[in-house]
Amino acid sequence: MIEYTRTKGCNVICLEVPGKLECRDMALRTISAACKLVMPKASARGSRQADAISHIVSAVGEAYNNIVLHGYAGREPGTIQIHIENCREWMRVMIKDTGTSFDPAQAKPPDLEALPESGLGIFIMRSFVDEMTYVPGTDGSPNVLMLFKRLDEIPPSAINTHRPA
Amino acid sequence: MFFNLNTQGLVCTLRIEGELDAVSVVELRPVIDRIGAERPPRVEVDLARLRLIDSSGVGAIVALFKAVRSYDGSMTVVGVRDQPLAIFKLLRLDRVFVRDVA
Repeated sequence: MIEYTRTKGCNVICLEVPGKLECRDMALRTISAACKLVMPKASARGSRQADAISHIVSAVGEAYNNIVLHGYAGREPGTIQIHIENCREWMRVMIKDTGTSFDPAQAKPPDLEALPESGLGIFIMRSFVDEMTYVPGTDGSPNVLMLFKRLDEIPPSAINTHRPA
Repeated sequence: MFFNLNTQGLVCTLRIEGELDAVSVVELRPVIDRIGAERPPRVEVDLARLRLIDSSGVGAIVALFKAVRSYDGSMTVVGVRDQPLAIFKLLRLDRVFVRDVA
């Protein structure tokens, strides 16, 4: 299921998919398409906008993997709801699931010099966005991961002014 | 994901196209095992047509690098660009085995 609306100058896209890896590409292509709505120059290879798309797609991809491979491991997978809001200056992605909670703050940063083969997902998420918050679900409410990414070079004060509550 | 393994002389070239992620990485594991068993002196991983990689895919590339290094072979990654390049730079892998960045 996918819905698109435009509110207060922002694109709002809601996508709900089964919590399965087969649906990951659909979710990431939606993220990429949402970025291109507000970044027409993003096709220029190596541009800052193209990098921003790479970063947010990577972060959401890792979040999606975590939910499917860990949150829904050993149980019937639930759904993954992805709520995208963006305008020219920023993009916010909220990802909701009903799997086992995880606390990204507890993940230790990897020792990159040791060339780790795993344990990189949360590091990638945290590195590629400007803000990341996680609220574990309780009493039937979903886990909520919020990823916020600046898409343009504007001062944080201006972002706060434009950012919806 | 599509991959192709081609050996000419001392050089084994592994070309990976499309997406190398948690979905497709299982297809690559037997290839890594095969390279580790055949022990070609030089391994070149061509990622010019790789559109997307995630931490699972990176883990496979690093595993291949370690396998090649374990028998004193050499491995380079060529053609990496766009999202995969962003990941490689973040994880500092561009300093380890990447050359000819697009």
